[in-house]
Parts: sequence; C-alpha cells; structure tokens
Amino acid sequence: MAASRRARVAVLGSAQTDLRAAHSDRQHVDLIAEAVASALLGTGLRMTDVDFVIDSGSDFLDGRSISNCGFLGAMGANHKEESRVEEDGLWSAMYAATKIASGSASVGLVVAYSKSSESDPRNYWSSLAEPFTQRPVGLDQHSAAGLFAQRYLARYGIDPQALSAVSDRAWAAAARNPQVDADEDMLRDESWNEFVAAPLRRRDMARPVDGAVAVVVTSEHVARQFDRRPVWISGMGSAMDQHFLAAREPTSLPAATAAAGAAFRMAGAASARDFDVVEVSANSTVGELMVLESLGLAEAGTAIGLYGDSAPSGLNLSGGALPADVVMATGLVRLHEVASHLAGRTDRDPAGAKTGLAHGTGGLGMQNHCVITLETS
Amino acid sequence: MTNIAIVGTGQTVHARRRIDVSQAGLAREAAVEALLDAQLTMDDIDSVVVASGPAMFGAVNQPEKWLVDALGARFKPVVRVTSGGGTGLAGALQGMNQIKAGVARRVLVVAYDKLSEGALQASISTLYDPFWGREFAVGIMGFSAAYWRARMDRLGHTEEAAAMVAVKNRKNSMLNPKAHVKKEVTVDEVLASRPLCWPIKALDVPPISDGACAVILAADDDAEAITSTPAWIRGMAYYSEADNGPHRSMLQSEPLKIAASRVYEKAGVTNPRRQFDVAELQEPYTCFELSYYEGLGLCEEGGAAELIASGATEMTGDIPVNPSGGCMGANPIGATALIRLAEAAMQVTGKAGAHQINGAELALVQAGGGWANLRGVAVVGSTRG
Repeated sequence: MAASRRARVAVLGSAQTDLRAAHSDRQHVDLIAEAVASALLGTGLRMTDVDFVIDSGSDFLDGRSISNCGFLGAMGANHKEESRVEEDGLWSAMYAATKIASGSASVGLVVAYSKSSESDPRNYWSSLAEPFTQRPVGLDQHSAAGLFAQRYLARYGIDPQALSAVSDRAWAAAARNPQVDADEDMLRDESWNEFVAAPLRRRDMARPVDGAVAVVVTSEHVARQFDRRPVWISGMGSAMDQHFLAAREPTSLPAATAAAGAAFRMAGAASARDFDVVEVSANSTVGELMVLESLGLAEAGTAIGLYGDSAPSGLNLSGGALPADVVMATGLVRLHEVASHLAGRTDRDPAGAKTGLAHGTGGLGMQNHCVITLETS
Repeated sequence: MTNIAIVGTGQTVHARRRIDVSQAGLAREAAVEALLDAQLTMDDIDSVVVASGPAMFGAVNQPEKWLVDALGARFKPVVRVTSGGGTGLAGALQGMNQIKAGVARRVLVVAYDKLSEGALQASISTLYDPFWGREFAVGIMGFSAAYWRARMDRLGHTEEAAAMVAVKNRKNSMLNPKAHVKKEVTVDEVLASRPLCWPIKALDVPPISDGACAVILAADDDAEAITSTPAWIRGMAYYSEADNGPHRSMLQSEPLKIAASRVYEKAGVTNPRRQFDVAELQEPYTCFELSYYEGLGLCEEGGAAELIASGATEMTGDIPVNPSGGCMGANPIGATALIRLAEAAMQVTGKAGAHQINGAELALVQAGGGWANLRGVAVVGSTRG
C-alpha cells in the first residue's frame, strides 16, 4: 500500500534508564516510572495527554502472571486503554504506531522493560522451546546460538577468533554510551573467554541486563503543535520464522529479510544501506553478523568485514544488544537510540543523519524480527 | 472511515482435557474452522494476532512462536497480545488497528488456552505483588468473593440472584454444540453446592477448559466480497485500572464504565437495554454477570438482582445474555473473550444455530481480565451502522 495513504506517526520523545547487570536497589516500578517520566520530559506533553499505553515485558521473567497489571500505575495507564504485547518492545511500538495511523488515538506511550537479575534468564529462554521435542534436549538461547554459529562459521570459512572484532567493537561503543554499565577493559577478564556454546564464548553472547525504555508516539497533528524536532516513522514490518530450529535456514534469517522488506517498501527505501543510523539486536556475535546480512547491510558471509577499518559510522553506536540485552526491551532501546540521534539529542550523534533503522528480535535462535525505519523531515 | 467486520469465526470443541491435540493443534483447529467459514486460506491472511491467557497457564513461554508452524503463518507478521481473561478482545483490537492503519487487509485473530497443562490457581496467585499481596491473596477467588460480599450489602446482589445466573447459563449451554459442560442445575442446587470461598460456591464457578477460538477480520468492500454476512464491529475498547489500591471501588468497575461509554458513543447506543438484541458477557463467576448488567447499563445500579429474576436475560427475554451458555458452558480462559465476540458475530449473522436469538441485529460483548481491572466492551451489528 502506498505510504502516502497512511497517516504519519511521529516519535516525539523517548528515554531509557541506565542498563545495568543488576539494578539491585530499584524495583520494576522504579525503572518503568523513570523511563516514562523522562520520555515525556521536554515533549510538552503530560501524562494526562496520553491516550493509551502499549507495553512489553515477560510474565516468565517477572515471575508474575499478567505482570502488566502490577505496573499500570508506573506506566501511567490508569483508566486508559492498555495492552500487553508479549514480544520485544519494538512490536509494541509497531502496535502503537498502527493505533495512531488508524486514527483511533493521537498520543501513545510505548513501554518495555526487563529485570532479568531477579530471575534466571535461562529459564525464560528454555521455556520458549516447545515442550515435546526441543525442550527435553536442553535447547536454550545459548545452545541455539552455538548451533547457528557452528554452521555459519563453517560455511563461510570464518575463524572463530575473528569474532572478537565484533564483541570488542560492541563493548567499546557501549563504554562510550553513558547509559550502559560497560567499560572497554571489561572483556580482558579471562572469564569472558570461557566457552558457553562452542564455538561461542561468553564474550560472544548477549549479556542480559536490567532496564526500562519508553517512547512517546503521536499523530502528525499533535507533533506539529510543539517546536520539538519530530522524528517520523517511515516504515515498519515484522515476520516470524517457523519454530523448529532444525527446519530453519542454517546460516541466514529470512524472517529478518521479510520484516526489512516490508518496512523498506513502506518507507520507499531500496536497501538497508540507505539509512544513516542503524541499530540492530542480536543474541550473539554470529547472530549480529547474520542480522546485518539478512537486513541487506552486507552480502552473505561478509558482515565480519563491517568490523574492520571500513566500518559504517552509523552502525550500533550504542553498542547494540551484545553488551546490554534488556530481553523484552532490546529492540525498543534501539528505536530510542535511533530516534535520539535523528533528533540530535545525544552528544554522540553522527553529523547530518536524517534516516535510521531499528531492528528487534525475539524467540529461540532469533525466530522473529521487527524493523522500524525513521526519518526527520 | 474504515469499517471492520468479522468475516469468519471458528471454535474448537471445548473440553476439560483435550489430550488429542497439543496447544498448537488446538489453535489450528479453531483457525481452520474460521478459514473454512470465510472460504479463505492462509495465503489470503496478511497478519496473525495470537491472544492467550498468561503464559504460565500453559507453561510455554511466548507460545505464538510454537503455534506459528501449525497456523501456517511462517514469514507473516505474528504477534501475541496477552491481557488475562479479556485477551481475545485485546487481540481483536490490535487486528482492527492493523487494518485501519493500512498495514494489513485481513487479520486472523486466534485465542486459546489449554488449562489442563498448567497449574491454574497457582499461576493466578502470582498476579499479586510479591511483597505486599501474595501472602494473603490466594488465586482470584478470595478477591472476587470479598467484592461480591460487599455488593450483596450495597447493591443487593444476593446468592439467589447469582444462582439464577448459573441456572440460566447452564441451561443455555444445553443448546450450544461447542459447550463443554452440559448439565442443568436448579437455584437450590447452586445454593446447596459446596462453598469454595463464600459466597462463591462450586456451581457459581465455571468449568476449566481446553479450547480455542479464531476470527478473521476484514474491512469495508473487502469484507463484503468475502462474505454476504459480515458482522460489523461498531465499536471496541479495552481499558485498564491501575494497582490494587484502597481507592478502587469494585462496587462498580470504572474501566468497564469508561469502555462502555466510549463504545456506546461510537456505536450510537443510548439505551442499551432497548437497543441490544443480545449480549455475550464473560462471567468468571456468577456474581460478575450481575455486576456487568449494571456497569453496562442494562439496568440501573442495584437493579441486577431484579433484572435476572424478571427473566429478561433468558433466551426468551427482551435482552438475552449469554445464549451460548457463557463461561459456564466452556471456560478456556484466554479464549473466552474472543468466543464472546465470535458468538455475537454468529448471532447478528443468523449463524448461531440452536441458540440463535431470532432477528438479532445488534449485540453487546463484554470481557475482561487481570484482577478485575482490565475491561473490554464491543458492539457488533448486522449493518455498518
């Protein structure tokens, strides 16, 4: 469908808490309330202007059924329309954008959070596997990533040692990101080189962290009332692959390609290379290479080349998901990051950036993918 | 202005324990029936919304990722919405927004729960705050009983009145081929049934079921091209109320009132009792149906006991409520809201079979979840309005 038919949706504000291995002195509601209040700050909008709230979190991680119920107050959802999308927060952003584009509402708040330090994230991952054939053999996020990595590295003849370029760059970028508790020396500790799922080591795996993120989306009419530089959602798409790992493509992520294709068609973009700022999610270093290739940022088997001297300047400036995986919020953090750069709200903004791409993923072995593209006018 | 219609519905055979299918197979059974009803295939479907109760109910985290294979939805947008007992309406609402926003033409909404595979009340108990609420709030029953007790004094929602709800809905279930429980009861039997958490007694409580429901949504001319009998969604909303604080008055549900007023305004409903031909209300306990009569404006505040006693909400009354038998007939929690919506669509399109209300043109749907703090309302009609 032509982009012109669709009402424009603006990202008017966004914010995240610090992403830390453990926010042991703060509860879920504290993190959520901080992100929500900070996202509204400076937009000119108040909580009473918000029509609806769409949120992402996990009952399994929270140890709590219908866990959104416990956080409605912190999310400012009292006596408002609210829905829990139990996917990465980027899917919540997509829902919120359709709700505004449909004309059903003018101002929406998107919230995503995880506090995996309060539970065992391995249980979260293993409970994603269907219970009859996959769960009993012990599949979890790490083993799934390892299985993909073995096949990917073998097929393209890549030395596993080369993967350190991916993690080194991610952690170096995270060290420059004031909202991630990372420093560049961290990976020097030998424990980061322990094998987790051969050929992947601990340094290759996304590190689960605690945090929350909130994004304010509005109709064009509302966005024009404020002098804040609006960032527009230009395209969005999502797709889910089949569940059984053995039946999936061994070295690529066709669902990521499908999600990106839908978003690019809507945005009128030819390829992922059209975007100035790109933030992607991934479960591991090899996962990140596969995401970049499946989105079209590199040919199959060549994404490792993006980590050399010719690295694109606008790729995962935040450090991406490897140093800071907020589990249910990682994709929405990517959207916040891209929107902040395009709006000129960080001191790390690439000069002249006008377009951006945010990617989120979920499921065992990155089963589903979501892409939202953004632009400034 | 885009008008959305339900162009196909499907339901499984609901049962206490469906050992013949997995969760994925259960959802597929409903989806296949809905596709057959609409004469469509998965190739015609742009997007899938899966709605289910809390994932702990079935002990599979993010089950849509397992269901995708059985639903034939590989590489399509698939997203799950979860919102307790009302999740089917929350899911349908997301589907409607996708169509109205132009990102999908046809959306399959599937809702299910396979409650035989998890520890239901233990999972429900985890609703409550781990520090302040979990010690004394066991399951959802104690909470519900306390508020019913308060409504007895203030609104006259007597045990007898609630028992009449059980009698009516169980009687209606006899006519529903999909119902899981088919056994008529009397008011005396309900009153004499075993107290579980007084005033809630065994026969005030619906069964626990395995089951699924699916609806297919489409818009305007496309809906009319698919079927000669689209059921038009004239309005739908889903509102929340924060926290379990002492300021909450559970005598009347605020989010229900907000949702009803928004939807009624959109659908042009000013006199619900007179305008609606039929209602499908999700009643997790009998006392809730009484409460909803008032919250939805089918009678004045404090008038619910009189309304049920008058027979007006029976199949032969002027405002039949739950001709399907409601949750008393089948209660796969995560699917119950979508079942109410599907049943309403069946009523206004004349497809409800033995439990059809003759000439029904406008139907009211209510469903909710959480700790009685998530409330949804929908209006479905035989015309666009």
